[in-house]
Amino acid sequence: METPKIPVDLILTKLAEDTEKARTRVQKASDILLQELDTGIAQTAYETVYEEDRVKLKHYQPTEAVKLKRPLLVVYALINRETMLDLQPGRSVVKIFQDHGVDLYMVDWGYPTRKDKYLTIDDHVNGYMDNIVDFICEKHKVDRINLMGICMGGTFSVIYAALHPEKIKNLVTTVTPTNFNTDQGLLHIWMKALDADRMVDTFGNLPGDFMNFGFLLLNPARLMIDKYVGFLENMDNKEFVENFIRMEKWIFDSPDVPGETFRQFLKDCYQKNLLIQSKMNVGGRRVNLKNITMPLLNFYGKYDHLVPPAACELLTSKVGSEDTEDVCLDTGHIGIYVSSKCQREFAPKIAAWLEKRDKDEKKSLKKKSGVRKKVSGKAAAKNKSSTRKRKSTQQSALRGDTV
Amino acid sequence: MVEQRGNQNAQSLLSAWIESAAEFWGSMLQNWTQPDTANDDSSPGEKSRARESFETVFNSWQTLSSVARDPGAKEAFTNLGQAMPELLSQMVQASWRSYYYLQQQWLERAGRIGETTQAFTFENLDEDVFKAWTEIYENELKKFFYIPQLGLTRNYQQNFTAALDKYQRFQNQYAEFMHLIFLPVEKTFKVLQQQLSDLAREGKLPENSNDYYKLFIKILEGHYMSLFKSPEYITAMSKTLEVLEDFVAARNTITQDILNTLSMPNQKDLDELYKELYHLKKRLKILEKEKSGSQGKAHNA
Repeated sequence: METPKIPVDLILTKLAEDTEKARTRVQKASDILLQELDTGIAQTAYETVYEEDRVKLKHYQPTEAVKLKRPLLVVYALINRETMLDLQPGRSVVKIFQDHGVDLYMVDWGYPTRKDKYLTIDDHVNGYMDNIVDFICEKHKVDRINLMGICMGGTFSVIYAALHPEKIKNLVTTVTPTNFNTDQGLLHIWMKALDADRMVDTFGNLPGDFMNFGFLLLNPARLMIDKYVGFLENMDNKEFVENFIRMEKWIFDSPDVPGETFRQFLKDCYQKNLLIQSKMNVGGRRVNLKNITMPLLNFYGKYDHLVPPAACELLTSKVGSEDTEDVCLDTGHIGIYVSSKCQREFAPKIAAWLEKRDKDEKKSLKKKSGVRKKVSGKAAAKNKSSTRKRKSTQQSALRGDTV
Repeated sequence: MVEQRGNQNAQSLLSAWIESAAEFWGSMLQNWTQPDTANDDSSPGEKSRARESFETVFNSWQTLSSVARDPGAKEAFTNLGQAMPELLSQMVQASWRSYYYLQQQWLERAGRIGETTQAFTFENLDEDVFKAWTEIYENELKKFFYIPQLGLTRNYQQNFTAALDKYQRFQNQYAEFMHLIFLPVEKTFKVLQQQLSDLAREGKLPENSNDYYKLFIKILEGHYMSLFKSPEYITAMSKTLEVLEDFVAARNTITQDILNTLSMPNQKDLDELYKELYHLKKRLKILEKEKSGSQGKAHNA
């Protein structure tokens, strides 16, 4: 074999220069790491207005005048924490909603313990979520609210909207897996090979650390090596260090997942894919996606390796609503919420979308109250179809962080 | 002939030992049982309990040693001593057989050093060593953990040895899984070496060390993506989880046994309690809803 001609002298010269830079960097980094750092997350003020078992409901008052008639309830996933929506000043979805006059409520699922092992999807959806929705409706004297779900929380929101359509005015789903029959993401491939019954019977709740390890294994090169090399290269930058630590705090803050919830989610969703087929049973009731007749806005990330586009994009074609919209952003699973570019579009778009439907509702109510003649059954059906049909898929030109 | 000499040596050693032990303890007893009138406050004829116990033990020993001096009895003892190591020698033989088998596997693997590797493929994964060890363990060693246990505490012993077996199986499978996890790293270094050789031949070697790192990470990421989609990895992952679950279950059984002996509630007891609480709470919520519903109707009426 021919000996390769490696420019060793050039590499060594470069290395010497890099070593000098590294030395300066390490000196600065030690000063930064040893001083007080601002690494708090979820700093936006809120009030806990409802508690049931481990579940809390946070209320964020809008900073501007309330623009929406109905409040927005955000339901996060059971995996990781909802604090990601309020990661840091300048990257807070919560703050953006507040600044757009949205009366915001957010579910805090808390930290399940062993005693929560028997809680099912029914308990979370028809129990906690339904009680929370009733509470908000009673507090605001409304019959319906706006619902937004994130990831697994979005799946819960879809199930809830299908079972209780009379309580939801508008539905927003973000990076929400509804179709699990895809091999686009590694998670979908691995989940099919797992034995849910054995896992739940052995561990009870699915340990958060176990799931963290699984998520890291999805891309160990980037998540376990490259990420920290990037940190070492930038650890002389105080802002970078603070942001990095905030993200680390959030990403490894993983509550356990209640065993029975995990069992059904894995078997019925990942393995049998019942939800998108409207064959899933929750609490003895079939989840029929055709019952979702309210407007639906569906966000997903083009480079999402956890919930790939194929897992999200089918939903709008399966629901009964005629007012649906898919928005595919050039970002990953978390980039939608933490990328500064995506944040400028994502939350404001939701606020604008909700506001528009609020105005449309007011207009139609005014029209109805203005019409004095009695409307027959057929005419009433015709009025319904006058709601604008809009099914569009919109490719955003944004390029955000890929995760 | 040699065996007979060995037996005779063992017998004579045994006799010598018994005699010297009898002499030693006999003299000790004599010293102890001689009356000490200066310090002894007890009445004549009265002996301490300790002395009585020692005398009883020594008399038993004297009886035993006189029996042992009998040539027939000596032969019986030596035969018994020879029978004991038989079980041990079986285990040692099994271990040696296993070791030779493993050595063969290592030699085969050593022979493969220097072969080139294809990038981003994980066919013919180098897992023969682990398969060999797993085979050895299952065929030769596992049976020792399942020797039937006897006695009052047989159930606890059985649980303990079963846990040891599950732990060993977990260790085996975990080692194989970790080997699989590190396979892309090994392959990446080999592929990187090949790519750098090609680049050097074309005169396009990067000068910046950071570029080498970026190339390494890109190749590594690609290898992991290929590995994680492979059926071998999925099988290994499932098996690892299975043996982990078995081990955790076996460990929990032992923990429960320990807690039971300490009269403390164990996980199973608490789980049953939690289940009852869960059902009670659920029933209560349904009743509350029904009550508020009926109250609402009554109010409207």
